Amino acid sequence: MRRASIAALFGGMLFCAMTGIRLSAADSAQAGARVALGRRLFYDADLSADGTMACATCHEQKHGFAEGNRAHPGVTGEAGRRNVPGLANVGRRASLTWGDPTIRTLEAQALVPLLGTHPVEMGMLGKERELPRRLGANPCYRALFRAAFPDEKGVIDVATVTRALAAFQRTLVSASAPYDGLAKGALPAGRRVFAARCASCHSGPDLTDDRFHRVTDVQPADRGLGEITGKPADDGKFRTPSLRNVALSAPYFHDGASPTLAAAIERHEGLKLKPEEQKSALIFMELLTDHAFVTDARFAYPDGPCEVTPDGA
Amino acid sequence: MTVTKLLIFLTLALAVPAVAQESDPQGDAKCGATPAVPPAEYAAWSSAQPVKAATSAESADAALLAPGKALDLALVPTPDVKYAVRPEHPGGSVSSGGLTAVRIDHAGTYRVGIDSGAWLDVVADGKSLESVGHGHGPACTGIRKMVDFRLEPGRYLLQIAGNGTPKIRVILAVVPGA
Repeated sequence: MRRASIAALFGGMLFCAMTGIRLSAADSAQAGARVALGRRLFYDADLSADGTMACATCHEQKHGFAEGNRAHPGVTGEAGRRNVPGLANVGRRASLTWGDPTIRTLEAQALVPLLGTHPVEMGMLGKERELPRRLGANPCYRALFRAAFPDEKGVIDVATVTRALAAFQRTLVSASAPYDGLAKGALPAGRRVFAARCASCHSGPDLTDDRFHRVTDVQPADRGLGEITGKPADDGKFRTPSLRNVALSAPYFHDGASPTLAAAIERHEGLKLKPEEQKSALIFMELLTDHAFVTDARFAYPDGPCEVTPDGA
Repeated sequence: MTVTKLLIFLTLALAVPAVAQESDPQGDAKCGATPAVPPAEYAAWSSAQPVKAATSAESADAALLAPGKALDLALVPTPDVKYAVRPEHPGGSVSSGGLTAVRIDHAGTYRVGIDSGAWLDVVADGKSLESVGHGHGPACTGIRKMVDFRLEPGRYLLQIAGNGTPKIRVILAVVPGA
């Protein structure tokens, strides 16, 4: 294996710092290479059929790695079905996606946009062999795959691509919002409203219980959890979204049909907040914006040199 | 869609400052084989001139996009394009891109329309300008995406990045009253 560079070692330190996992120096360098590789792949549109869509096309850092549109069409022009969720602290989620509790790892989730057909997003189903062809043409990728996956001899395939993407996403930790600085027990008005009216679902450090609930009318076009379980009782249930950076990620709900936070609050059936309660809740949700997270250069487009010595250099 | 409804839609769609460029390929899925005639301000869309896109800022004057005109640009593979500013969403190695020059004589708001969902930048003095609006094109005309920029007299670069095919139609229209 080529000697990992300082950048890759810093990547390993980032991985350890963000995930809390302690690693040996060698494993840290490998983890760092995996994070660096995942970051490059996250921003690389060669992961889509026609080279037009990267993960970052929809997951934009300035929106907390969500998007400002209702949904995003895929490479074939098929309309997006669901709103793009943010990725802050996504490594802590018990399950991924809006409606499928069986997708429990980021590696498995990555297959949804990459190979999924309902709808087609990046459109790589049947084109998996394009990944080693395209990525393998890049000397930096070849070296990074070897540094990140020495046991697999640096093979470039769907498995190593999704593992690297997952490693990068696990470093997307948000813990610097004003909300995180509130003293324990401090209860500004909005937090009191949340505790009393919203915390049955929006609970925990990321304001989600990671469970599935129906809070608005069932739409036949998207049955949510019911599509997976086949149980009519699960129709219209969707996973409680994290509210980290929620003020940056309009529009809201699984269908992106609520253009503002106020509209999203009002869409919760049975939740009738008084005007002053709603105002307090909106102020509280602004406290969940982590400006350090959405401007953190470690998560941004990788403009710098290759993190390891590229092949042939 | 009536003209009134169309104008209301465009006004709403373009009134919001751009935070992400949006396109609507589904609009065309419901359309007939013959494209609809675009509104008068986009009349040039139907008579686009074929031009080879430039591959760098230095060669961009050979592909000039003037207000009120449309071009059928032959793009080049993305790795062969030397952008003046790295696009926010650069395409992959298998995508296509290119540049054109834009000359503006009168200050105003200008709308760039394209027939795809490619990423658009208007660059001046080495910086990508903030767009002031974005939206879908008039239904069934083939104009899929539109992005507005407020421009002063001068020379600009239009950067097209991450197109899924090696061809793109582009129009530069003046936004009346903006």
